[in-house]
Amino acid sequence: MLVSFVHLLLLFSWSWRTLASHEQLVGDFFSKSTSNHTNNWAVLVCSSRYWFNYRHMANALGMYRTVKRLGIPDSNIILMLADDAACNSRNKFPGSVYANPGRGLDLYGDNIEVDYRGYEVTVENFIRVLTGRMEPSVPRSKRLLTDANSNVFVYMTGHGGNEFLKFQDNEEISAFDIADAFEQMWQKKRYNEIFFMIDTCQANTMYTKFYSPNILATGSAKLDQNSYSYENDNDLGVHIIDRYTHYVLEYMERINKTSHQTMRDLFDSYDPVKISSDPGVRADLFRRPLDEVLITDFFGGVAQVEVQESTTPFSGADGPESVPAADTRPRVAATAFTTETGVQDESWRTMRTWGGVVLLGALVGWVGSRTV
Amino acid sequence: MKSLVDTGALFPALVVGRLLLALTNASDVLKHNHQLSTPLTSYLNLQEGIYLFKNGIDPYSGGVFRQSPLFLALFTTVLPTSRIACSLIWTISDAIGAWALVQLWRARQRVAQTSRDGLIAAAYLLNPYLFLPTLALSTSTFENTLALLSLLFAARGHASPSLLAAAILLQLSLSSVVLLAPLVLLLASSPVSQLASPRAFSGNVKIIIPLLVEFLVYTSVLTLVSALVSGGWAWIPQTWGAILTLPDLTPNVGLWWYFFTEMFDHFRPFFLMVFSIHLLIYIAPVCIKFQYDYLYAAFILLGVLGTFKSYPTMADPGLFLSMIALFPEIYPYLRYPIVTTLLHLHAALLMPLFHHLWLNQGTGNANFFYASTLVFACANGAALTDCVWAGLRIAIGPPQEGFSVVQE
Repeated sequence: MLVSFVHLLLLFSWSWRTLASHEQLVGDFFSKSTSNHTNNWAVLVCSSRYWFNYRHMANALGMYRTVKRLGIPDSNIILMLADDAACNSRNKFPGSVYANPGRGLDLYGDNIEVDYRGYEVTVENFIRVLTGRMEPSVPRSKRLLTDANSNVFVYMTGHGGNEFLKFQDNEEISAFDIADAFEQMWQKKRYNEIFFMIDTCQANTMYTKFYSPNILATGSAKLDQNSYSYENDNDLGVHIIDRYTHYVLEYMERINKTSHQTMRDLFDSYDPVKISSDPGVRADLFRRPLDEVLITDFFGGVAQVEVQESTTPFSGADGPESVPAADTRPRVAATAFTTETGVQDESWRTMRTWGGVVLLGALVGWVGSRTV
Repeated sequence: MKSLVDTGALFPALVVGRLLLALTNASDVLKHNHQLSTPLTSYLNLQEGIYLFKNGIDPYSGGVFRQSPLFLALFTTVLPTSRIACSLIWTISDAIGAWALVQLWRARQRVAQTSRDGLIAAAYLLNPYLFLPTLALSTSTFENTLALLSLLFAARGHASPSLLAAAILLQLSLSSVVLLAPLVLLLASSPVSQLASPRAFSGNVKIIIPLLVEFLVYTSVLTLVSALVSGGWAWIPQTWGAILTLPDLTPNVGLWWYFFTEMFDHFRPFFLMVFSIHLLIYIAPVCIKFQYDYLYAAFILLGVLGTFKSYPTMADPGLFLSMIALFPEIYPYLRYPIVTTLLHLHAALLMPLFHHLWLNQGTGNANFFYASTLVFACANGAALTDCVWAGLRIAIGPPQEGFSVVQE
């Protein structure tokens, strides 16, 4: 009785220790970088419509392409566009949207997924997307299904002013609305960190009203300042991208999934002379120092991965015979197939199958001998 | 003893031809075919199950392996698993089945040899419904061979081998329990053709219970062997349970799958019960009606099984059609053999076509294939009813001038 109690105590302490060491292992894994997000989402909003706002469409599509290139899948991107530029009857190159004057790169292509198009791009839908308060009938592709470990990149572009942004030429969203929406997201644990980028006239006023933690914001122009477009394309006849977004995208072209460039580098690359306006950054709500925040923490879908040596019995294509002799022990002790009891199981199994075959043969032989 | 091996020149020639056919790589294409193998008989599932078993995973923990643990035991120990060796094993099984059919024919005629032996063997070895599933390495080949062996031993009066073969067959396919009654009664009577002269059951009634007990003993021993090999009892719901509860609705040539794809869950148990009992209700009437010729009763019940089984392949009605060769006395009394043949031709040509149209090309839908399986069921049903009619009609005698036979 005492012996069994001691055994129980030992077992308990062993399991407690292994559990604690599991926590340690998992904690180490996630503390490799200062960010502890596990998934990335992007909400890209172009709030203008009509042909002459071609550049806002190109802004949003350029961001969309960058974000996809760096690894966020379509299922994690909410793209809100009026989507009336590519197939506009005034588009001399139908089915395409270009963002540089030489028309080198078609941003529209045949592989984009617009979640809210045309008249669905409204203030109400934008706030519903952020807060997640939707009709049950809204499909999954239109929902922002973030959780407490999601990093969300929110990009907005269009015509704006002092603490407002114009939506589709008939309504507007104010900085207070967005701030309240973000607070709702914080209360409902719908984000880990938010990176808010906005490219409109007087853009920096839009992020002045945020009050929720873990939000990093940047805008293209300060109060009483306009944001300007980059260049006109002579064949299309409209301005095709805005300066701020153009220079940001130009910077992003140098980033790939494995870059260690930080937000500090991005913000340092801002050149108010080239952009023709004063971009701003708001980092007081953000808990991490900017030189530790990777660009891919928000723009990319990079996840923490650790590749282990194969430790399951399926390591060889031919079965157990080709399991390498130098089989590394599993990093975390609680794996289903431990190698110690594997050999015992296998020999028991061989005995069972041979026993079965022998019994079957004996039965057939006995019946045969009885007959003949 | 000479008669056991002397089957003329045609039989060995056919076997050699089939072995040559087995050496081609037809199985690589055919093993995926849904008409030739079902989830319960598929070679791919067998390979998967053997691989899982060899690597220490219980193959019965998922829905991928639904075959008997006896296969696991045999293929991981004594039998090879390479493609050519398996093709040869399957073809040899078919050859044994053909041999059993020829011996059954001889036992029924009570002669050592006839001139027709080669034709009987050809009826089995050249039947496309039978050799295509063999090329596809579907385990329904073994089921057919075991059924024929058990009928052969019963016709010869050897009770124990017959019941052992039937017990092994039961391990492979639960539906074959339908054959138990005519088998035991055949053991108690004689296989000789009595169709033309019906009389009351005149066999040995006293040995029926001991035979049933012997069958139960063999079945329990084999069940325990299976449990030993598989390391538990999880194989029972996956194999026998699958036949009763139809968990896998992969399309096949049977009638159950489509019905149950569109079934509301609320009604599922009821209809599963109805379909299962439907197989059982044929046993008593057929055995009572053909109580003077139990080989014919077994033949009819094989036809019922081929048409109404839960997971049939083409091999199941194929066995029925090949066994018609055993009963030439009914040929003059078949009413519409040409219609049946044409229905079979119709179905056999359209089923692969509509299957391809539905699942490969995407221009058809499930209803095309289901309609062709309905035609196939019609063909099987037509063959079945015609054989039942002819088996009964033969007792009335040849048609006479001025008289007509009417069914009341």
